Amino acid sequence: MSKHDSTRRSFLKRAAVGAGAVAGSGLVPDVYTQTLEQHKDAAAPSESHATSIQHGAFFNYEQGTTIAAFTERLMPGAPGKAGARDAGVLNYIDLALAGAYADLQDFYRRGLAELDAYCRTTYKQPFAQLEPARQDEVITTLEQGKAAGFSWPTAQEFFNVVRTHTMEGMFADPIYGGNRDFAGWRLVGFPGAQGNFTATDLQNKQTFTRAPMTGLQAQAGLQAQAKNPQRTE
Amino acid sequence: MATQKTDVVIVGVGAVGGILAAELGKAGMKVIGLERGPRLTTQDFSALDELRYFQRQELRPSSKRQPVTWRPDAKTNAKPLPILNYGNQAGGGTVHYGALSWRFHEDDFRARSHTIERYGASAIPADSSLTDWPLTYADLEPFYDQAEYELGVSGRAGNLQGRKTDAGNPFEAPRRREYPLPALLPDQSGVIFAAAGQKLGYHPFSSPRAILSQPYQGRAGCTYCGFCQSFGCHMAAKSSILVTKLPEADATGNFKLLTGTMCYRVNSDNSGRVTGVSYYAADGSDNTIEADLVILATFIYDNTRLLLLSKTAKFPNGLANSSGQLGKHLMAHIGARVFVAFDDRYVNIYMGPSAQKHSLDDFNADNFDHSGMKFVRGAQLSVTPADLEAGPIGASISMNPPPGIPRWGAAYRDFLAKYFARYAAFIAQTENLPYADQTVDLDPHVRDQYGMPAPRLTYDWRRPNEVARIEFLLNKLEELGRASGATHVWRSPTGSGAPGAHHEGGTRMGSDPKLSVVNRYGQSWDIPNLFVIGSSTFPTMSGFNPTLTIQALAYSSADAIVNRYKKSPGALV
Ligand SMILES: Cc1cc2nc3c(=O)[nH]c(=O)nc-3n(C[C@H](O)[C@H](O)[C@H](O)COP(=O)(O)OP(=O)(O)OC[C@H]3O[C@@H](n4cnc5c(N)ncnc54)[C@H](O)[C@@H]3O)c2cc1C
Repeated sequence: MSKHDSTRRSFLKRAAVGAGAVAGSGLVPDVYTQTLEQHKDAAAPSESHATSIQHGAFFNYEQGTTIAAFTERLMPGAPGKAGARDAGVLNYIDLALAGAYADLQDFYRRGLAELDAYCRTTYKQPFAQLEPARQDEVITTLEQGKAAGFSWPTAQEFFNVVRTHTMEGMFADPIYGGNRDFAGWRLVGFPGAQGNFTATDLQNKQTFTRAPMTGLQAQAGLQAQAKNPQRTE
Repeated sequence: MATQKTDVVIVGVGAVGGILAAELGKAGMKVIGLERGPRLTTQDFSALDELRYFQRQELRPSSKRQPVTWRPDAKTNAKPLPILNYGNQAGGGTVHYGALSWRFHEDDFRARSHTIERYGASAIPADSSLTDWPLTYADLEPFYDQAEYELGVSGRAGNLQGRKTDAGNPFEAPRRREYPLPALLPDQSGVIFAAAGQKLGYHPFSSPRAILSQPYQGRAGCTYCGFCQSFGCHMAAKSSILVTKLPEADATGNFKLLTGTMCYRVNSDNSGRVTGVSYYAADGSDNTIEADLVILATFIYDNTRLLLLSKTAKFPNGLANSSGQLGKHLMAHIGARVFVAFDDRYVNIYMGPSAQKHSLDDFNADNFDHSGMKFVRGAQLSVTPADLEAGPIGASISMNPPPGIPRWGAAYRDFLAKYFARYAAFIAQTENLPYADQTVDLDPHVRDQYGMPAPRLTYDWRRPNEVARIEFLLNKLEELGRASGATHVWRSPTGSGAPGAHHEGGTRMGSDPKLSVVNRYGQSWDIPNLFVIGSSTFPTMSGFNPTLTIQALAYSSADAIVNRYKKSPGALV
């Protein structure tokens, strides 16, 4: 609990510099970070890495723990292979439910309650405390629509939406709070938004390495710098 | 409540509306365009953001605020379609389209006669309303040419004035001259697809697209960024209506665009003419435009819905509906897909314009012999990323893993990690036949944000002719996949009977007022100062993407209005 509280406090502090900053802090190349540091009240950028369970915009502690565990089974991390936790999928979904997907708040609330009831009835434990193999068993019954006690959302609907949001959190631009340090893009070998591929690039039969990955905030920073060099120093 | 007077009101300023606005404005007609969405600029598209534009569909109508419902048959309750495949801003669907720009084949314009001549009448399913168009390819050729040159289309001619060129598409209808711009460069997926096609004796080519391969008319050439279908172009290299015809319309001084305006009714009087339209403005106010000429260019749903909603005592079944044909013969393309993946190389399909990159036309239309087959008409075959968009969200949502690999967990993670940059999809875009009982009407239960009944589609493509065609094509795609040397080749499920891309029909054009809603110019048979233009008028659909044909028809209508109707308003045919 105390861990949660401190996470929440630092979350709120960071929120003072805007949702985008929460999403992007620590992620983007120098040009944007420099701009950020000019905000005297901004928290230290390193804080965003303080814990891997980031939430607080929508989920309560238990919900956050469950979603963190669930999404990690959908995209498990392994040495050298980023998973949902590494990519910050929980943070992505948490921020999305507080904003763009606010109309899905009840969907998640109820789906999580149904999942909790199902796990307590079947295994006498909440989802997050089950062994990974058991968790996979639960997810499989959800995916196949065989888990009892779900009405709305149905087990399959809940599975499908969480799966979709997990993929979004893995692969959306880091500005939305997931894909931390481009973990998802690195995992699959996507170079991110590149404004330009050359004729030589088009002939390449190897993986693309010519240019670095940049996120939307860095790109916006570069545009601002190009338009108005003295403002960003 | 405000009332304005004008010569012409155009409802919907997308692919069709933009062309008419510019052409009528140039001819000195005063034009007001009503567009329910905003007018964006190229600068608005600087964010290459897959979540925002592909996954969250920011440039498309919202399925919650602007629902279009679908049911497979008249016994089932209709539900809103989750994704809407048309535009929602000035420029309409051309802002975010894949820009595939085809001329239809000569036999696409006479699918019924051609089929009967070659295979006999019994080859056509008894319940299909397969028919000929009221115009020929030759009638439309000058307007295809005008569209290609004015908008900027890149490609390579396959048939110059009847002479095969040994390049481009050998099955294309004769064109008067080369494309204005050379074909776009293939990426590695195109190279792979071309090699497989050639190996099997087919005729692959770089797909013609309204994307600039070189600078043209003051716009820069494509930089192959790949954020193409679903996205606005950050370079303005995509020849959308936003960067082509709208600036031209502005320059006439005769065009006024009203954004954020939702037309809810076409007004008519007892003389049997339309008098203008009513609309809600962004501030919620209820307004009227009085116009001599009303042009509906809203895409198929509202083209049909507005006519149905505008019924009066004089027109009790809706405007332009004395034939009873309004809302019938709905068609859509279905995409049959096969995935290929390579262990020994990268494909990097995220490079280059994303949709239907390289094509072959050997199995489209009647380009192959259907004797002894259980279906007529064909499909355009091409190579493309999973959902015609090339980012990892799209791949993870739209690409089913091969048999034996689950959709989640460590094995799925490893599948994506290994193959995201090593896969391609081979896709067949089918020419499904028209059937009169596939319809657009008003949903009695679901309403949109304005309280208007939602357009409701009743449609199921899984008819014997179409199912037999899909099976034939999936086999062809697998053959191509094996010929490509791919390590893995697997099918995507064909899914439910829901309509796929490019919806067409609802206000069918024809040569008989008893059997069609509009004539070849989109002019209502019943009401001469009312035009309905777009794919809603297509009598049949072709395996090709529709927009260049929609645009050629828009130019043809503009020509008829400016050069004939303007001088003597009345029936054009
Ligand atoms: C993702 C995607 C990719 C596509 N790719 C291709 C492609 O590669 N090649 C191709 O040929 N086609 C493609 N299409 C289809 C193409 O976009 C359409 O064929 C084309 O835009 C249709 O032109 P239109 O003018 O009839 O409709 P639109 O371009 O959609 O324009 C209609 C306009 O009317 C407005 N409107 C609707 N109702 C009202 C109302 N009641 N009041 C006021 N305004 C209204 C809408 O907001 C819209 O802007 C694609 C479509 C999508 C969605």
